Amino acid sequence: MSPRLRRAERASTPEEPLPAPPRPAGRVLDARLHLLDRQVVDADGAPVAVVDDLELEPLVTAADDGSAGTADGVPTLVVTHLLSGPVLLTRVLTGRPPHSRWHRIAWRHVSDVGTVLRLGLQGDALDVLWIERWLREHVVGRIPGGRRAPE
Amino acid sequence: MLLSDLLDARVLDADGRALGFVVDVRLVLDAPPGGLDGAAPLATPRVHALLVSPRTGTSFLGYERTSTNAPALVARYLRHRHRGTFLVHWTDVAAPTASTITLRPTWTPWSPTLPLPLP
Amino acid sequence: MKKLFAVALGVLTAIGGFVDIGDLVTNAVVGARFGMSLAWVVVVGVVGICLFAQMSGRVAAVSGRATFEIIRERLGPRVGGANLVASFLVTMLTLTAEIGGIALALELASSVERRLWIPFAGLAVWLVLWRVKFSVLENAAGLLGLALVVFAVALFQLGPDWDELVRQVTHPSVPPDEAAPTYWYYAVALFGAAMTPYEVFFFSSGAREERWTVEDLSTSRANVLVGFPLGGLLSLAIAACATVVLLPRGIEVTSLSQITLPVALAGGKFLLALVILGIVAATFGAALETALSTGYTLAQFFGWSWGKYRRPAEAARFHTAMLVAVVVGTLVLLTNVDPVAVTEYSVVFSAIALPLTYLPILVVANDPEYMGEHVNGRATNALGLGYLVVIVVASLAAIPLMVATGAGG
Repeated sequence: MSPRLRRAERASTPEEPLPAPPRPAGRVLDARLHLLDRQVVDADGAPVAVVDDLELEPLVTAADDGSAGTADGVPTLVVTHLLSGPVLLTRVLTGRPPHSRWHRIAWRHVSDVGTVLRLGLQGDALDVLWIERWLREHVVGRIPGGRRAPE
Repeated sequence: MLLSDLLDARVLDADGRALGFVVDVRLVLDAPPGGLDGAAPLATPRVHALLVSPRTGTSFLGYERTSTNAPALVARYLRHRHRGTFLVHWTDVAAPTASTITLRPTWTPWSPTLPLPLP
Repeated sequence: MKKLFAVALGVLTAIGGFVDIGDLVTNAVVGARFGMSLAWVVVVGVVGICLFAQMSGRVAAVSGRATFEIIRERLGPRVGGANLVASFLVTMLTLTAEIGGIALALELASSVERRLWIPFAGLAVWLVLWRVKFSVLENAAGLLGLALVVFAVALFQLGPDWDELVRQVTHPSVPPDEAAPTYWYYAVALFGAAMTPYEVFFFSSGAREERWTVEDLSTSRANVLVGFPLGGLLSLAIAACATVVLLPRGIEVTSLSQITLPVALAGGKFLLALVILGIVAATFGAALETALSTGYTLAQFFGWSWGKYRRPAEAARFHTAMLVAVVVGTLVLLTNVDPVAVTEYSVVFSAIALPLTYLPILVVANDPEYMGEHVNGRATNALGLGYLVVIVVASLAAIPLMVATGAGG
């Protein structure tokens, strides 16, 4: 269940209409609204996976001396990878599967963000599709007619 | 760090009072693109701000941030549930820990509405 | 001329494809116990399925996204996941009922015990799924299912008291020997039979299978708005036959032979053979649709590659899931469960699962990010919201009514 604040715990929040923030110079996306749970398709339009989570890492710039980040506080975080797979369970329950079980798709492969996320490469290059390939080899491919188009 | 570490995290102000929960993270595509010599098609998304709702831990369908008004009853009900949602810049965050986000003393709330796309 | 042919084909397919084992059994059961006093539920259900099939087809054609992809995107993994579990289980239950229906009809035709037909039916369903193209599959099953029109023919042959039938339809009331909760329980069941969730998954995924674009929308609208109501009339004919023949004799419907009794009385062996052909075709078509829907729901939620338009090797997880679903359904039936009882439960559980499917469609049909300028008009929204209320009420009332009436007993 989603968490909730009890009325007594709540600090008073501003009630009058809030000012609009300064507009950032770049495309704006809200992670949960626009990226999470979206379908990822490859360059041919074939479905690859659904975005189950995003991996965030501190930004490392060229002129970096190990102190990346804003003035004196939290480092600037950027999205480095889309994650898919067993990670889904952490969003539904708690706990987290080990790093090695995450299927990563690097953000640099994403070529377009719309109602689906389009990648610039073919699905076969990604390890997130290993189940699909395994089933193709060992099950579907073995049954007669599996590799031919239906008539 | 995962995005889901930030989502649904408790947000406290500098004095430790609860302000709400993170319902979404606003990203801006303005960090240097990855790939060889920065040749990736899209810029890297940078964590720009957090959207905090005082009442509930999840956003539902995003009605509180867009101007979609239909279907009327659903939109009105969900807007009401999420009233008081505000935006906090990432630069106003002091220290994210395991499950809470503490803000600096100088934090200011902003309107959560999504900016309209550039013409 | 070609356009007219395509429209006619679509309409005929929609009529023949409307009736499945759930409609067949539920309408006959209701006709035998309540006469035509629940006919209004069929009307309400038909309008509802027209509305939502149209909406989901439009969403799929304009946005290129099928229903379950949208459910996950808009509701998130927790609520969407719960939705998946519920929808998948209900569709599995319906699939089992449909395969059982095929076996029952074949048993009626041949007097060979149905348990021997069950593995044959399951294998046949899977083979067609494996090798036959989507459009051929759709059209063949739909056209053969038109043989069910025999119920309407039989009704005329039986020469019923039309005034009495019309009076029961227009002045519905609980019959004296039945209790009010039972009446409402069967109202929910009939509603679930008319508005089955798999219909919407199938319709929107089918729109993607056949690559519908905005231009195809008017054809699909004709198919739905003409075909589904005519299919609804067929359902009413089934109920009316039961009202005329079974109700006066106090025969309750527990098997397929009672459902076809009115046809046998009216037209002898010839009409009976036709109606059995129609039942086999309709349930076979519905088995194909529900099996495809189990594949669609799983594949769309998890983001697998899916679709009959792809070679099976390119949609390996999708085809494996359907294979497993058909096998499980067949195995369940081989444990000698009563297929008619399975059917009766499947329609009630369909009614319970309806809100989960329809709310996301209604929301996305209004979202300009997906629909551009094709968002819902105000009339559609008003009707959609009204139906959402009805659907939620039916869904909430189902379990208490089931408990209170002992599942209609």
